[in-house]
Amino acid sequence: MTRVRNRAFSIFVACALALAGCRSAHEDETRLVRVWAHQGQEAENKAMREIAEAFDDAHRAFGVRVELTFFPDFQYAEKLAIAAAARDLPDAFDLDGPMVARLVDAGLLAPLDAWIDEETRGDFLPTILQQGTIEGRLYALGAFESAAVLYYDREKFERADVVAPPDLEGWTWDEFLEACAKLRTAGIEAVALHMDESADEWYTYAFSPVVWSAGGALVSPEGDDVQGVLASEANVRALESWQELFARGFAATDPVDPDPFGSGTVAMDWSGHWMARSHLEKFGDRLGVMPLPRVGPEAAAPCGSWCWGVSATSARTEDAVRWLKWVTHPEHGVAPIVRANGAVPARRSAFASFPEYRENPYALFRRQLETVARPRPRTPFYATLTQRFAAALRDIARGADVRSRLETAEAEVQRVVARRRVRDGGVDGSAEAVP
Amino acid sequence: MSDWRRRQSRAAVWFLAPAGILLAVFVVWPLARSLWWSFHYADLLAPDGQPWAGGSHYSDLLRDPRFRRAFANTALFAVLVVPLQTTLAFFLALWVNRPEPAWRWLRVVFFLPTIVAMPVLAILWTMLYQPAQGDETGLINAMLGIVGVPAQAWLRDPLLALPAIAFMSIWQGTGLQMMVFLAGLQNVPRETLEAARVDGAGAWQRTRHVVVPAMRNSIVFVVTVTTILAFRLFVQPYLMTRGGPGNSTVSLVQTIYETTFLAQDLGRACAAAFLFLLLVGGLALVQRRLLREERA
Repeated sequence: MTRVRNRAFSIFVACALALAGCRSAHEDETRLVRVWAHQGQEAENKAMREIAEAFDDAHRAFGVRVELTFFPDFQYAEKLAIAAAARDLPDAFDLDGPMVARLVDAGLLAPLDAWIDEETRGDFLPTILQQGTIEGRLYALGAFESAAVLYYDREKFERADVVAPPDLEGWTWDEFLEACAKLRTAGIEAVALHMDESADEWYTYAFSPVVWSAGGALVSPEGDDVQGVLASEANVRALESWQELFARGFAATDPVDPDPFGSGTVAMDWSGHWMARSHLEKFGDRLGVMPLPRVGPEAAAPCGSWCWGVSATSARTEDAVRWLKWVTHPEHGVAPIVRANGAVPARRSAFASFPEYRENPYALFRRQLETVARPRPRTPFYATLTQRFAAALRDIARGADVRSRLETAEAEVQRVVARRRVRDGGVDGSAEAVP
Repeated sequence: MSDWRRRQSRAAVWFLAPAGILLAVFVVWPLARSLWWSFHYADLLAPDGQPWAGGSHYSDLLRDPRFRRAFANTALFAVLVVPLQTTLAFFLALWVNRPEPAWRWLRVVFFLPTIVAMPVLAILWTMLYQPAQGDETGLINAMLGIVGVPAQAWLRDPLLALPAIAFMSIWQGTGLQMMVFLAGLQNVPRETLEAARVDGAGAWQRTRHVVVPAMRNSIVFVVTVTTILAFRLFVQPYLMTRGGPGNSTVSLVQTIYETTFLAQDLGRACAAAFLFLLLVGGLALVQRRLLREERA
């Protein structure tokens, strides 16, 4: 009996050892790529998980597998910062476009130039490349893009005797105000600007084109200064024109309805690609679309969205790049995610899977991204810049003096810039240049 | 020292050790670390190995108009809230300190706002002040309209925004202070109150000469805690006005939060946090000196 038990025990031990051996050998072969993503709509998360599964299947032969973790959108930036501080960044992660410059500045993103060839680059929309390029080097690539346009209701236009601009040209600011006035006279509310957005980013995203179209900017071309830029004549003029919308009662400063255009109370909607599907469903042929109105001679449109980068500290850079290539691949990455979230495909070859892009409003999204759209400022102090700019816009909409409000914002941002300069130059700590 | 005593003090070390270790790891070490960072150009994304900044974060903060404004706003908020809330809570406690069930319900009603999450209340009060824009006014303006007060842009007017937030905060916080005072009222000796009544003291005199002295410790506690809570002002202005209009409601904690997570300037944020710590610590000390607690 004892012998039998002993033998059973030895067999068990042998099996356990063999199994343990197998497992560890197997684990050595499988290289795990840690991937972090922000949590989007459920459909988007599901698509991401499927993309990851497809990646695992396709890379089983190479012994590469991804471990995908989602974090809530509103905590994501903090989570990345804390992980960076704890030197625990994953191998690859997605990040919002304007954050790229900050992460590059902190040395956390690996350049992708050696991994992405010219042909592949040429397939991406120019805005995606711009967004991910800092000081001439490519650090991030996205699977999708964004666009903002002016949607309008043809029927309301007809009733108010407003004529839309020819051939999707877009209005000048005066033409836009004139149309608003006509609508007002006809008893129709003119335009929804979604000033209810509690997050700052909408303001910078949606209204930077107003400033750009007047020849203004939020930051110097090098991205390292706002002195004399943020409160420039062009910006003051642009935002004074913008303020007229509220002063004359054409747009609400604190709207209650999140979608007044969809609910039929407003004639025009200053909004993004994410409303296209629902507006088309509601209005069908009645839905018109045009570029955002311009204050000066230049047409301007916003762009930018989440994109993928590879951690500079990753021990598996090659595998992380494999993931990045997969998730931005026209078929494996772009098509499924765009189908899930309705954003604009980031690659030209991916448009083939989306026949709707031959017609408006989608055709306009693509046209803007190919021609006039610009990413938001690529600068390490973007987070402060966007917050102070948004606060200024909020106050200006409610009647603050444009020049002095912009000057305050400029001084506040410049203080952050000056402190960085002191740090980098190692000069004595006083920021005397700061007003 | 006797053998027994020596053994006792050796045991004491062991009994104190767990708490001491926890304190050291979770309080002393982080404090020391932040103090260290406050003298460096520490970056949140790469905190260590950054150049020495000396006292420049501190000197720059003291000259920064936005930080100074935040300081002034927070101080003004405390000046508005602490006396008003304490007085109100005290008289509410006196009022509801009756045994009948109806008064118990009233206590619950006054206490309710303190258990509702502040973000919920912030949204609610934003709507009460101004649900929409322009001439459309909220419930508060509508009520004031009845008595002939013209509608005010409560959260949009740089002069009114902070008092409006202070009013809402007093409304929210009074219930908790009231409960502390209610507990304190149990310490008021009934015999002394009766004696005062027999001696012909009126309600006001009894409150002033009997109740207040007997509740000294509760008052000291409430004033100190309310001051510290008032200086921690953040959620209400952040959600109701985002620190605007202009910088008229920006608070000290908001600037610390923004410096940490938006500017990701850890060194400067730590310096700001230390200035904040000095301020609140100093105030608490001064209050203890002035209002010296009575030890039983």
